[in-house]
Order: sequence, then C-alpha cells, then structure tokens
Amino acid sequence: MAEKTKLIDVSKCTGCRSCQLACKQWNQQPAKQTENYGTYQNPPDLQSNTWTLIRFQEIAEKDKVKWLFRKDGCMHCTNAACVKVCPSGALHYTDFGTVAVTNSLCIGCKECVSACPFEIPKYDRVTDKIYKCDLCLSRIEADLIPACAKACPTGAITFGDKNAMIKKAYARAKELGGDANVYGDKFVGGTHVIYVLTEKPRVYDALPDKPSVPFSVIVWKDMLKPLSLLAAGGVLAGSFLHYILHGPKLPDEPGKEEKGGE
Amino acid sequence: MRKGLIQATDGFERIVHWSLALSCIALCITGLGMMYQSLNFIGDMMGGLKSLKYVHNFTGVFFGVALYFTIRMWWKEAGIFSMPEDLEWIRCAGGYLWHVDNPPEVGKYNPGQKMFFLAIAGFGVIMFLTGLMMWFPLSFPPTIVRLMYVLHALGFVVIFAFFFVHLYLGTIGSPGSLDAMLTGWVSRAWLKKQHPKWLKEMEHEGTLVVYGEEKPSAKGHH
Repeated sequence: MAEKTKLIDVSKCTGCRSCQLACKQWNQQPAKQTENYGTYQNPPDLQSNTWTLIRFQEIAEKDKVKWLFRKDGCMHCTNAACVKVCPSGALHYTDFGTVAVTNSLCIGCKECVSACPFEIPKYDRVTDKIYKCDLCLSRIEADLIPACAKACPTGAITFGDKNAMIKKAYARAKELGGDANVYGDKFVGGTHVIYVLTEKPRVYDALPDKPSVPFSVIVWKDMLKPLSLLAAGGVLAGSFLHYILHGPKLPDEPGKEEKGGE
Repeated sequence: MRKGLIQATDGFERIVHWSLALSCIALCITGLGMMYQSLNFIGDMMGGLKSLKYVHNFTGVFFGVALYFTIRMWWKEAGIFSMPEDLEWIRCAGGYLWHVDNPPEVGKYNPGQKMFFLAIAGFGVIMFLTGLMMWFPLSFPPTIVRLMYVLHALGFVVIFAFFFVHLYLGTIGSPGSLDAMLTGWVSRAWLKKQHPKWLKEMEHEGTLVVYGEEKPSAKGHH
C-alpha cells in the first residue's frame, strides 16, 4: 500500500481549531477542564484525550505583532523512537507508514513518553495507558481523509500520497519564499506529517530543530539489548568449554589431601 | 547431616541469599518478557503483560530490601580486597583458567567472588534506583529518564552474564559449593580446597563449627 502523508501548511492556518474539534469528535474524546493562562492556546498542551492542538504564538516585531499558528500532533516517523521502545507492540507501523496504537496491548510503561523526540504520547492515569494521534487509521483504511484534514476550512491540512505531498510542500515553500521551509521529510527517516513553515523551525514552540531518535534509545535497543544475550550466551559457552577442557574444581580425595601440593 | 561436616553459612545468610537470588531471577525473566516482544508470552501466565509489569516492579522492591541485607551482611567479607594476596590470585585467575601449581590460599571469599559481590551490589543498587525512576518517569525530565533506561539495560547485561558464571561455579563447576548455600554444611576437604585460609582462621580462632562436635560460642553477622 502506498505511504500516506499529511501536509500542514501553516501559512494557510487561521487558528480556527476546527481540526482540534473534529479530532475530538471522530475519536470520541471528551473535553477536559481547562484554564485561562493568558493565551488563546487551549488546552495548554496535548493531553491523553487531545491528540492535536493549535499552538498560538505572538512574536513581537518592531511595530507590529506577528501571529503564529501551528497544528501540533504526532509526526508519524518512519524511524519512530516510540515503536522502538514499546515493549508490547502496542505502538506499531501501519501499511500507510503511519504509527498507530493498539490500546488493548498498552501496559502503561510510559517508555514512549520519554523516548519521543516530539513529546507526543500522553499518559492517562485512569486507564493506565498512553494515547496519541493515529492519523485516523479507521478513516484512511476506509479511503477517507483524516478528520482534521476534512474539517480544515482553508486547505491548510491536506492528505495524500507521500511523494505527491512532499512535492506539493516544496512547491508551496518556494512560492512563499523568504524563510519558508519544509519540515519533516529530512529526519527520523522522514515523517508522515510534514509542515510548510513560514518561519525557521526554531521559532516555533515545542518544535525541535533537528529531531532524531534519542542516542540513548539507540544504545539501549540496538547495542545493550543484543549484547545482553550475546554476553550470557558467551558465558554459557565458556562455562561448557571450561567444564570439558579444564574441568571442575574438585576437593582432594580423603586420605590423599595431606600429600597435596599445598 | 553427616558427622564431621563444617558449617559454612548460617540460616540468616542463606535466607538473604535466596531472597536476593530468587527475586533476581524473577526480575530477569519478567524483564526479558518486556525487553523482547517475542517473549511477551511470559506475561500470559501472570494475566497479561500489564500484570507482568507490576510483578516486575513489586519484585524490584523486594529485591531492593534483600539487596540491603546482602550488602550489610557481606560487604566487609566480600566487598574489600586484601592486598597483595588478592592481586596475586587475580594474576593467575585463581587457577581456574589454566594450570597453576600453587594458587594463593584464599580466605572466606576469593577475589572472583568479591568481584561478583561488588558487581551485584553496585549494579543492584543501580537497577533499584533506575528502576524506581522508570516506574515514575513523568516525575523526572525526559533526558534523565532516557539515561535511566540505558543504565538499567547496562545493569542487566552485567548481572545476567554474571548470573550464569555464578550458576556454573556454584554447581557443576565447583562440586560441593552448592551445599554451602543449601544446607550450609560443607566437607572439610571442600573447605581445604576452596578456602584453606578461612579454615585455618576458624581453627585458630576456635570458631569452627563441626557437626557432631560440641559447638563453640555462636558466631553471627549482626
């Protein structure tokens, strides 16, 4: 099956949050009590039942204020740190190249929470499981576009085949000019959610400049994990060889011990 | 028990040893169940992988308590090298790996056993502390928690490998040794071969407990 990608063109986003609402509706997620902390961003962060969120930012320039809206959510990495660390296979790749969650398998170990370079998976204390966007797997399997893309009134969120979306993103970034750039296709093996950003990536809140699978995850899963079996296997083989070649350390037989070489 | 056997360990030592050993094995098995998806089935007998997680975590608490008593009980005897004889022993690997005419006489613990003790004590503490932080990862910054997973995995590499060394040398690799941790009574011949200096020390200090003979004043660790 062809890999699919969601393109988020922040230059077209008006911050209406239709996507946020559509996500809640399709995934049947209730709202949580929230608080006003002096910004339009609401709720303050992604939550176990808020899988996408428009991040609002005000950037003060000389004589005006610039607004930035960025739809945050799972990036659906090709090399996903969360899938790498998940002990139960709850987090897994789909045929579309996206990363889905089988909640019945989740054991609430939260290993993905600290592994994700984008800090996406959120833990729910009540169910003792983690939750995140699955790019509307139930919809894309039925040949529908994700709920957020369906709800977006300005065309800021579009969905389609990976290569076509990347091509479209670069064409749009070129059209915008200036600092406009494409974010997502160049790291963690290429994400299945890509952005056309109007500013350099580091300008945006909660958006890592050069995200990667954490080095600690690579040491842990690609080095120490196989080494643990190798080392134990080596010891077992060594013990066997020791037994058949050198032999066990036996006490001297009674009577002969006094004449021993001590 | 047979007449003439010598007491190598007391009941307290054996209970602490087996509390640590059995919880360690349980932790290795349940840990493997989470480390390898192909071993997820280990969780089935516990009612699922989520239950296995809790078995692992609470066994870890038990392990921590056992480790505390282990270290308190043995660190003086097994945690400190006595130079230069221990260095000499290490140079010839105690005669375990190649033929050595007269390996240095060892006391209650040989340097190999001391290294094993130090590895278990050191990495055991690391396993307990990192495991505790991995249990509540949201209470710490992600960069710190990521390091905890690496240390926990490193501790597993060391302890899992050492476990098999210990298993071999505690059983078929050194016949007679297992009795020291099962009944606590060993033969004089075994003691003379494995820990001659300790035997001499006990004879000299009059602390030798021989089965069937009148007991000298009771010795203990506490």
